[in-house]
Amino acid sequence: MTRVAIIGAGQTPFRVRPDATLKELFAAAVEAAVSDIRHGFDPQEIEEAYIGSLATGGSQLGNFGPLMAENAGLTGAAAQRVENACASSGFAFRDAVMAVASGRVRFALAGGIEKMSDLPRARNRGWLGVSGDVEWERLAGTNFPGIYAMIARRHMYEHGTTRGQIAGVAVKNRSHAVANPKAQLRKPLSLEDALAAPMLADPLGFCDACGITDGASAVILCRWEDAGALTDRPVEVVGSGVGSDVVALHDRAVCTRLDAVRRAAQQAYASAEVEPADIDIAEVHDCFTIAELLAYADLGFCSEEEAGRLLDEGETRLGGRLPVNVSGGLIAKGHPIGATGTGQITELVHQLRGSVAETERQVPDARYGLAHNVGGSGGSAAVHILKAPA
Amino acid sequence: MTSYISLPLYAASIGQRLRLEAARCSDCGAFTYPQRPVCQNCHGRSFSAERLSGRGRLHTYTVIAPGGAPAEFDHQQAMTGALAVGIIDLVEGPRLTAQLADVEVEDLHIGLAMRAVVRRLYDQEGVIRYGTKFVPDEAP
Ligand SMILES: [Zn+2]
Repeated sequence: MTRVAIIGAGQTPFRVRPDATLKELFAAAVEAAVSDIRHGFDPQEIEEAYIGSLATGGSQLGNFGPLMAENAGLTGAAAQRVENACASSGFAFRDAVMAVASGRVRFALAGGIEKMSDLPRARNRGWLGVSGDVEWERLAGTNFPGIYAMIARRHMYEHGTTRGQIAGVAVKNRSHAVANPKAQLRKPLSLEDALAAPMLADPLGFCDACGITDGASAVILCRWEDAGALTDRPVEVVGSGVGSDVVALHDRAVCTRLDAVRRAAQQAYASAEVEPADIDIAEVHDCFTIAELLAYADLGFCSEEEAGRLLDEGETRLGGRLPVNVSGGLIAKGHPIGATGTGQITELVHQLRGSVAETERQVPDARYGLAHNVGGSGGSAAVHILKAPA
Repeated sequence: MTSYISLPLYAASIGQRLRLEAARCSDCGAFTYPQRPVCQNCHGRSFSAERLSGRGRLHTYTVIAPGGAPAEFDHQQAMTGALAVGIIDLVEGPRLTAQLADVEVEDLHIGLAMRAVVRRLYDQEGVIRYGTKFVPDEAP
């Protein structure tokens, strides 16, 4: 397999943008990724483009990949949409990595996009919340707030996790987002306010969930040997793993862990030849606060019992031993569904290069970064490990 | 716009929805419920339908605030406010996600003995869709 480098990465700010079209948002993300390539790059070099989107903004557009590519100046690249719910662009990234690693193409693009603000609320509630077992979960009475709430309740029961530890994820990630101009929620949140927020699905409140947002992200990859001519600081993709699992929570033997993530992580660590202890920074899929605590154990950072304590002791805070979601995570940076996976990669690329514009949130000397992107409540997951330039 | 199960599909699944008919694998004896074309234990494909008792215990649960449930339940939430949902460990092994009825939310706890009842779930195209909910089981 050919070694794979990321030479450029960019994203739009994650915001509610009712005035911007899908085409404009995706073009802006590609432009950001191209202009991130230090020594210049002609996007026409891109041979394949993989674009993650759950539902193209609820419009269910066909030929969506070519449409986005055309508007971003990539006409002629073999473009396709990749869909795996909230992990769509994590899987798109995997496809682009494999396209280069296999030797098939020299340049590939992975990206993602979602517009969640186009449709009226009633119609939005039709296309959102369809990434579980719709027939036996949604139509029994619950979609993701309730599903993650049931995971949270069981986590508290089995592992002694507290409500304060769960809400603490939002407090931490909101504090990280204050310094990130790309983030949607930049006001800090106190634990007191998080716990006092109205209940969404007991034990989770409104501060434990993501809101509506719009955005796009894009990453450009090439062979390692070609990267040096284009950028001084290529980031290497050293580990890639993907997995899936039964889609309904009730069909899993244990509902406080995500086996799709465990499968993906095992592949990613094995291919990178690193251990969880080698990871210096991680962007994890905190679609609900409890999901970040699941990630700590599923990724091998600690046991399920220790997840709450890892958070409590500040180990995953900026400045801690293993900073998690320094971008603000999904909770605070925003979660435009299809754009999230390559948005996480974009953050890690800048962190590992040491090129974060806001120096107060730059993690110093990080060598290995991990991205964890989950579809729905764990029906699918992609885990990638990136290595800083030497 | 909401998610959708057509009337013919709904009619075809009444046995498993209302009578809790599971697919019992002819090869390994495991129950697959809700039914699927492939045994979830051994991947066999031949089954006989067998009714589950509907008795079980609450594995986990949540109480969803008004507006937090799927759009199909807006009408119900407008009338009843919060909506309780749980995952039930059925005694035969399968688990099921269902609404919890006839119980005060303060009385819900993991391990609570419950039994299945047939209740109205939601209306679609003027037809009431019935399904399974769980209520406390007085004599487990
Ligand atoms: Zn079997």
